[in-house]
Amino acid sequence: MTKTESDNGFFDRFGGKYVAEIIRRPLDDLEKAFGEAMRDPAFLEELRTVQRDYIGRETPLYFAPTATKLLGGARIYVKLEGLANTGAHKINNAIGQCLLARRMGKTRVIAETGAGQHGLATAAACAKLGLECVVYMGEVDVRRQQPNVATMELYGAKVVPVKSGARTLKDAVNEAMRDWAANFKDTHYVLGSALGPAPFPDIVRTFQSVIGDEVKRQAAERGIDVGAVVACVGGGSNSIGIFSAFLDDADVRLVGAEAGGVGPNVGENAARMTGNASREGIVQGYKSRFLIDEDGQSLPTRSISAGLDYMGIGPQLAALGESGRVEFTSVRDDEALEAVKFFARNEGILFALESAHAGAAAMRIAKEIPADKALVINMSGRGDKDIFITSPVFRPARWREFLEAELRRLDEKKDVHDAD
Amino acid sequence: MESIRLMSHLVAGFPDAETSVAIADALVAGGSSILEIQLAFSDPSADGPAIQTASTVALENGFSTRKGLEIVKRIHERHPETPIYVMTYGSLAFTPGVENFAAMCKEAGASACIVPDLPFDCDEGLTAACRKQGLENIPVAAPSMSAERLGKLASAGFGQIYAALRAGTTGSETTIDKSTLDFIDAVGANGSKVLGGFGIRSGEQSRVLCRHVHAVVAGSVFVNLVLERPCTPEGRAEAVRRIEAKARELTGRG
Repeated sequence: MTKTESDNGFFDRFGGKYVAEIIRRPLDDLEKAFGEAMRDPAFLEELRTVQRDYIGRETPLYFAPTATKLLGGARIYVKLEGLANTGAHKINNAIGQCLLARRMGKTRVIAETGAGQHGLATAAACAKLGLECVVYMGEVDVRRQQPNVATMELYGAKVVPVKSGARTLKDAVNEAMRDWAANFKDTHYVLGSALGPAPFPDIVRTFQSVIGDEVKRQAAERGIDVGAVVACVGGGSNSIGIFSAFLDDADVRLVGAEAGGVGPNVGENAARMTGNASREGIVQGYKSRFLIDEDGQSLPTRSISAGLDYMGIGPQLAALGESGRVEFTSVRDDEALEAVKFFARNEGILFALESAHAGAAAMRIAKEIPADKALVINMSGRGDKDIFITSPVFRPARWREFLEAELRRLDEKKDVHDAD
Repeated sequence: MESIRLMSHLVAGFPDAETSVAIADALVAGGSSILEIQLAFSDPSADGPAIQTASTVALENGFSTRKGLEIVKRIHERHPETPIYVMTYGSLAFTPGVENFAAMCKEAGASACIVPDLPFDCDEGLTAACRKQGLENIPVAAPSMSAERLGKLASAGFGQIYAALRAGTTGSETTIDKSTLDFIDAVGANGSKVLGGFGIRSGEQSRVLCRHVHAVVAGSVFVNLVLERPCTPEGRAEAVRRIEAKARELTGRG
């Protein structure tokens, strides 16, 4: 049987707690508090209630008839995590950790965010639970995910643009770690992906495993024979969340789709498990596979999707990739955009650019799976937030016209409802 | 007046290779007993803004481990009597292999390594690799450590332990209160020499602290003297002069 939990923080040789002592104590305290909470029936009951009434679980397992017909292989199902409150699976973990933070007596919560979905989920959870919230976000991501910034601020969170390093997700993680080291007495750090130092990979997987558990139950109830599960992999929280229930089902293919960006060379993608740009390393508190150079310095990454644009992969996925239990493939930016279009037109479902990587991988392998089996795609998030990225590609002229007109109206201080 | 033993920190290649050698000269001229030379890492999450900025500048200048250790070697050749401790992050030690890393540090003339994110009880073999090369591995202790963990570290047989004197990253003010002194005592309880620092700014602070530690550590104060000045030849020369004066102040020679 495949062990789901880490062995003292390690998944085979990956994982660990490679941190300076200044951050060791909060990690040890968190590990203990998490263990206690998960054994406390009252905590689990509160979590279940919040999952049902606030997140909106269970999320649908949608049969996609047109996609099934067009792709000509497996029966295509889409797990609609994008229908969760705040628009993505990130809320599963954010609300779980915020409940834990409150249980630990913390009054302040910090988070890093890339695409903004984790920041958004944490900001919402903090608003709901009455916790102060600070979100660190790379300056580049603040620009490319502006709608999420606006919403986080609406939830009352303070969004801090991180100007150091590459000004993306990894730099936001560094900044959050620094804040935590200085303020852990009253502050909990809600890490959003199944990575970082132990116990985070275990905590995040535990809260996200509701996805796979639900798929398994839904499949059993409806007599669906699952042949493959496909998920996109940035750090890996949605993928490990949907995969973990199936690790022991040897006949179910588990496929992770990484960001292939614009090409196979260094700086053109964020593929850690495929291609040859990555190596084993110890960065940001854990041992895994990273896009780092021969000295160990982080390398630039690239993806159209901010949520997959990260140099490291969660240690459990690195181990599952090495053992062969999870297959990895990489999906280029243009293929992801095609998948967004395909599912929007044919199924009326708008994938986030991140999740569209899973959609594209599924389109590629659908024929390999028998027609009586199900291929489940995890739509980890919906694509409303990506309009600033997809519009310039799909409808550049009209988008430009719109933006210029909006700017003029702002300059002229015209009300948005003013018809002229 | 007795002079104070000072471990002075600099980032190799910051603000450029030549100036970092000149800074080392100034730190030695100012009376530093030990030089802690940091190899810049892209994700220095245990450092405050000053050293992070210095690391970014060094990397933008085309820093590599090889070039950094060449700077270490030059400094060692100019100051063979001054021990050099190489400080960096786990990624730079683990990626080439800890054995290779220790050998490279030895070859550059270093006498110890400080790698805060390779914890003493899970160090990927760094301590053993250092020992094999005749180097010391110096772990970093923090006041927030549990008594149990601190006790384990203090009795693990390290010759020296770096004590980070506040719960946070480098660069903020340090006050030397009873809890700090208790922490220092606990770190040195089994005979490890204590290098104490983080946030040391003034001669007054180092005078108070030096009575309790083997050496006082100062870092971001020197980095800031460079960052505060324009990156012109004059600005750099002025920074180097002030660094020497600051080192004199911190060693009680000023």
